Amino acid sequence: MKPTSDDLKKIRFFDNYSDKQLDTIVRMSSVKEFRVKEILFEQYDELSEVYVLFEGSLSLGISLAREKRIHLGTIEEGQLFSWSAVFSPFISTAWVMALAPAKVISIDAKKLNKEIEKDCDFGFKTMSKIAQTISRRLSDTRFQLMNQMTL
Amino acid sequence: MVNERNIYKPIMASLTDVIDESPLIKTFVLVPEKGFSFKTGQFIELSVDGIGEAPFTPSSSPLITEKLEVTVMKTGYVTECMHKLKPGVLMGIRGPFGRGYPIENFYGKEVLILGGGCGLAPIRSLLYALESVTDKLEKVILCYGSKTPSDCIYKPLFARLNKIEKFETYRTVDKFEEGWNESIGVVTSLLNKIKMNIEKSVAVVCGPPIMMKFGTIRLLEMGYQEDQIYLSMEKNMSCGLGKCGHCMMGEFFVCKDGPVFTYSELKDTPDIWK
Repeated sequence: MKPTSDDLKKIRFFDNYSDKQLDTIVRMSSVKEFRVKEILFEQYDELSEVYVLFEGSLSLGISLAREKRIHLGTIEEGQLFSWSAVFSPFISTAWVMALAPAKVISIDAKKLNKEIEKDCDFGFKTMSKIAQTISRRLSDTRFQLMNQMTL
Repeated sequence: MVNERNIYKPIMASLTDVIDESPLIKTFVLVPEKGFSFKTGQFIELSVDGIGEAPFTPSSSPLITEKLEVTVMKTGYVTECMHKLKPGVLMGIRGPFGRGYPIENFYGKEVLILGGGCGLAPIRSLLYALESVTDKLEKVILCYGSKTPSDCIYKPLFARLNKIEKFETYRTVDKFEEGWNESIGVVTSLLNKIKMNIEKSVAVVCGPPIMMKFGTIRLLEMGYQEDQIYLSMEKNMSCGLGKCGHCMMGEFFVCKDGPVFTYSELKDTPDIWK
């Protein structure tokens, strides 16, 4: 199912894109739904799609083994994840699982990368948002690490 | 209300109830021998005969003078002994000491509160105070983090606050346990969920030092000014009078000048997060 521009306008991640840019994103996107406990992707999976959570709640974590999942954080509505799909080697650094029924906007990463190269304004906005996502995740990870070290 | 005859002499209070909040945290309900008033954020010295004295910020409403609640985390000798106390014993109270939250500065604003672990104790008292002046506030958002769902204290508080207009609460845990359906991750990750009018907002941070450090950094990133961030510093207060020097932090005596400071007051002080 394709999202509409109006769907995207409801999502914080797409806040400052122009209408034309939102139409471009719509053309390369689809809406996917996941059931509770369904895995969206595993750690080390090759990724071809970038996701933005539309509705629901997702958990992100790492695995010591397939059976031993460590939950590191939740992905909130409006947040981007699966950013590894945009950067070589396109391998996921974490797994993501649905904690509640979830609806996500799935964006074709190859098409997104092409648009990033073609449209500088679009590319700057998108890369800034991805950098913010990674920066926040890194900051949270540092906090978690310091927290563990001081326990 | 310092005892006027002898500032080192406590007033006596009867322990009437002990509430288990989490495996390491208990709340002690005390009835002082005479009315005891404090300003939210101020602390007291609570003592047990023959054991010792330790500083705590009351977790109860500052509007109630005939009863006092103190939430105690088991961290050392005195607190371990306190955890063994049963209702009926007498405890000593000195204080209240220091500078609490300047609630009047919050009027007309949105209040964002970041709490971690046992840091929710002073915050609960603040929340009671804010509840009494809801009409003067724009909104109050509480973001609280604990290690696990069972370490989360004051569980009924969250449901109650969510029913109050202008109040919103969010919880997160470091470690997921089956059945938990709220957020996972550090408390700063909850800030991704909320929307604040930062210019017309103040933030309050109280919790373990590491949480206060990262919480403050994140608030600054969000656009909060240094004087919009209130920190409740708990620094081993002892005499409560700015005399003994146990709680010195740079030029400040936390017991006298604090425990509530703005970040702008402390930012140049070394080792504030230790």
